[in-house]
Amino acid sequence: MILEVDKLQIHYSTRSGVARAVDGASFVVPEGRIVGLVGESGCGKTTAVRAIMGVLAENGRQAGGRVVFKGQTMDEATTRRLRWRDIAYVPQSAMSSLDPVYTVGSQLVEVLTKRGTHSRASARARSAELFDLVGLSERRLADYPHQFSGGMRQRAAIAMALALEPSLLLADEPVTALDVIVQRQILDVLRSLQQRLHLSMVLVTHDISVVAYLCDEVVVMYAGQVVESGPVREVLARPRHPYTMGLRNAFPDLLSDALELVPIAGSPPDLSEPLSGCRFVPRCPFAQPACSIDSVVTGSDGHRSACRRDAEADTIRTAALDPRTWQRSSSFAMS
Amino acid sequence: MRLVVERFTHNALALLAVTTILFFMFRLMPGTPLAAFINENLNADQQQAMLEQFGLDKPMWQQYFIYLGNLLRGEMGLSFFQRRPVTTILLEVLPNSVILTLTSLIIAYAFGVLAGAWLAWKRGSWIERVAVPAVLATRAAPEFWIGMVLLALLSFNAGWFPSGGASSPGLAYNNNWQRIFSLDYVHHLALPVLTLALYLQGLPLLLMRSNMLEVMHEEFVTMARMKGLSEWRIVIGHAARNALLPVVTAFALGVGLSMGGNVVIETVFSWPGIGRLLVQAVSAHDYPVAQGAFLMIALVLAVMNFVADLLYMVLDPRVSHGRKG
Amino acid sequence: MAERAEPVPARASWPLLPVLKRMAAMPLKDPFAFAGLVIYLLFVLVAVFADQLAPVDPLEILFTKAGKLAANVPPGVEFPLGTTNLGRDIYAQLVHGTRSALAVGLSAAIIVATVGTIVGLVAGYFGGTADAVLMRIADMALSLPFLPFVIVLTGFLGASTSNIVLAVALLLWPNSARVIRSQVLTLRERAYVEAARVTGASAWRILFVHIAPNILPLSFVYAAIAIGWAIITEASVSFLGFGDSTSVSWGMMLQDAFASQALSRGQYAWFVPPGICIVLVVVAGFFISRGYEEVFMPRLRGR
Ligand SMILES: Nc1ncnc2c1ncn2[C@@H]1O[C@H](COP(=O)(O)OP(=O)(O)OP(=O)(O)O)[C@@H](O)[C@H]1O
Ligand code: SF4
Ligand SMILES: [Mg+2]
Repeated sequence: MILEVDKLQIHYSTRSGVARAVDGASFVVPEGRIVGLVGESGCGKTTAVRAIMGVLAENGRQAGGRVVFKGQTMDEATTRRLRWRDIAYVPQSAMSSLDPVYTVGSQLVEVLTKRGTHSRASARARSAELFDLVGLSERRLADYPHQFSGGMRQRAAIAMALALEPSLLLADEPVTALDVIVQRQILDVLRSLQQRLHLSMVLVTHDISVVAYLCDEVVVMYAGQVVESGPVREVLARPRHPYTMGLRNAFPDLLSDALELVPIAGSPPDLSEPLSGCRFVPRCPFAQPACSIDSVVTGSDGHRSACRRDAEADTIRTAALDPRTWQRSSSFAMS
Repeated sequence: MRLVVERFTHNALALLAVTTILFFMFRLMPGTPLAAFINENLNADQQQAMLEQFGLDKPMWQQYFIYLGNLLRGEMGLSFFQRRPVTTILLEVLPNSVILTLTSLIIAYAFGVLAGAWLAWKRGSWIERVAVPAVLATRAAPEFWIGMVLLALLSFNAGWFPSGGASSPGLAYNNNWQRIFSLDYVHHLALPVLTLALYLQGLPLLLMRSNMLEVMHEEFVTMARMKGLSEWRIVIGHAARNALLPVVTAFALGVGLSMGGNVVIETVFSWPGIGRLLVQAVSAHDYPVAQGAFLMIALVLAVMNFVADLLYMVLDPRVSHGRKG
Repeated sequence: MAERAEPVPARASWPLLPVLKRMAAMPLKDPFAFAGLVIYLLFVLVAVFADQLAPVDPLEILFTKAGKLAANVPPGVEFPLGTTNLGRDIYAQLVHGTRSALAVGLSAAIIVATVGTIVGLVAGYFGGTADAVLMRIADMALSLPFLPFVIVLTGFLGASTSNIVLAVALLLWPNSARVIRSQVLTLRERAYVEAARVTGASAWRILFVHIAPNILPLSFVYAAIAIGWAIITEASVSFLGFGDSTSVSWGMMLQDAFASQALSRGQYAWFVPPGICIVLVVVAGFFISRGYEEVFMPRLRGR
């Protein structure tokens, strides 16, 4: 395992109290694999990966758990040492992540010389090489970020992330802001680079079809917790957590023939309220009174689910395929 | 380039509007229109020359164009009291005003930028809670009053600085530049500069501070952190560099604005600049000089507005470098 | 972290009520704004009770019991701040000066806020020719050098308080008009305005029922700033000798002190207090406007 995230807890202090954006999330990233981190908006994906980079917002703090990279626990000093050299980041919006007043080339040179061991001359050569790697013309190094198109900017951001030859790449919705054709191109760039450079990667997305297209493993997050994780084929073909089943129904499926799209009714819980038991209860069509009491994680090492009714997973999955199941909300929550 | 022409035209038109307003202000003044240009202090020949030069016997609209034509040639008539061309008088005092303004602005902005960045860095601390209202108070104080207090304390009481003027009486110089680069001149300059700098530092300071606070929340600053760049490099190389953009523009605007605001400081310190000239001319009803001084101040304002526009374009690549595919 | 200010949903009958409520509650949230309000209140009280606080006529020439001119008397029991070189009570001048300061400040603020708001609303909402013309006029006014223009105008039109107020108003309205215009432009696109338009409300109704209430805090900010500017300008113009010589104002006091060599005599009690009063009133305006900006327009901060 190149990365282990263990019971990570991230709290934001806000006016209305403490928001537990990540609340005991655990997952692992095997060496040389692409792990997809999926979940609805606000479930804590960005918070989790930023916590790994050690750059939380001012009002955020790690309240518990740990992150282990290649066997080293990431404390502040370790994080500072490993940043960008071993773990790099591809942001959702490359536009806002590049400094508007410097050329893209000089920002590459900056990280290569100030963070890497390059001289200015070798940094320039390496920049050209990096641009070539992501399919950009070397001439564009002299351009400013605003002179790039969205797709080119995203490529530049990938080049930036690869500058110091990291072994782990965290990509936070690297294609969400792009149109579908460009999305596909960027995903292909990522895939080919991952194979050529033998990278390990965490790919954050809320689009399950992106996971299906690119990832080896998938980690499903809901309300700050991991509800299901395992190999992509396994999880998408035989999801064991009702939330994953719902999520799969809500997206055009790449694996099987397109099903009717069914959204999950309701919205995620308010994370600043105290929560106990399974957090999916109010929206889960299969919820039972016991679900509210506590949560459990079951399953073999490969495929894990945090559903109390995991034993009945096969029956539930069949029921979940029926769109009508998702139309009436939880019978238990109704009562 | 198109943008440059556009901004130039805009500022030139604004200046034209100001000259036009001024023309009518002086011509439509209570009293005879001629009084604004002919004064019994001038002898008959001079009166005749003025009458012809400004076409004062012609209809108003013709006078207007004659006036514009004269202005373009730098002709602004004769001072009623000094009986010398207004242009000569203006050019004599202009260096004093420019030196006073630029020196104080440079000091004020250098201090303001550093202190503003530092206060942004210290956000949430007690220093910030005390400093921000204190700086606001310096902006609320009338410039001339700051000058008066400093004058009473440092000049009359402590005797460190002369109480006014630009040169000590009795000193002789070969030319104006020698005078300006003399120690005596600097000694006279110190107190007005200190006063003006004290008044002016608030704007760059508060501007820099709030820009810094805003930029520090930008994604590219977070990214710089993720890259593991040093704190120094993040704050100076990225945050401050971006936060500085509007401050540089404000500096150029400040040159134009404080030239006009200098009227009070120059009066307090009897500094022989264009502002004091204006005040004296208005009190003495020396209309040609008053008009000339006003136009000179307006011209500097317009030119500096244009310079500010240019600076903004040069410094912000989003404006200076067009978008490509 | 400041929350984005939400537009106030307008209720047809009392569109102003919720805004006014929030505006009234604001100083309680922001300690600086609260301090500003207290300062304003104090000066208003002083202005109202000036005759009681300082029964002496500020322009009366006073004599000592021995019958000599009470000139340059140092501060003491009889004259809290001493007397001027012509034997006038400085404390009385300071107290009575509050009246002219508030008169100048408030009248200029009312004109600036009213003109600026109306021009901003009309230009922003109707756009087109009206907008172009109004904004060109605003550009023109902004390219006039501020203090020189006021001096020339009062120098020619005559030194009176109303001319100073006029000159200040003439130059200050464009600032508020511009900002209000751009605010109106964004409000116009907001969904609820769109909705009102679709349901067939008239332009004026949308303008005054839906947009104006959201603009009100902004007008307030500019009014508070204009109070300060007007008072400083009046003081500067008086100091330069173009002031109204029949009224007692802080600027006149400073001019008097300066011209009468109070500086070289070290009569700090003469020229320090009027300056401090000006600073207090102006800073109060800054504090209040900052408070409103923080609460209603967090994105405008730092201007
Ligand atoms: N700086 C912050 N202060 C307070 N709350 C925050 C902050 N940043 C994020 N949150 C909250 O934490 C939760 C998780 O946010 P996060 O951005 O990690 O979600 P996400 O899964 O990345 O969502 P998205 O798909 O929209 O990017 C959300 O409820 C969000 O409102
Ligand atoms: S069945 Fe119960 S435990 Fe399982 S997801 Fe639904 S609510 Fe949660
Ligand atoms: Mg996110």
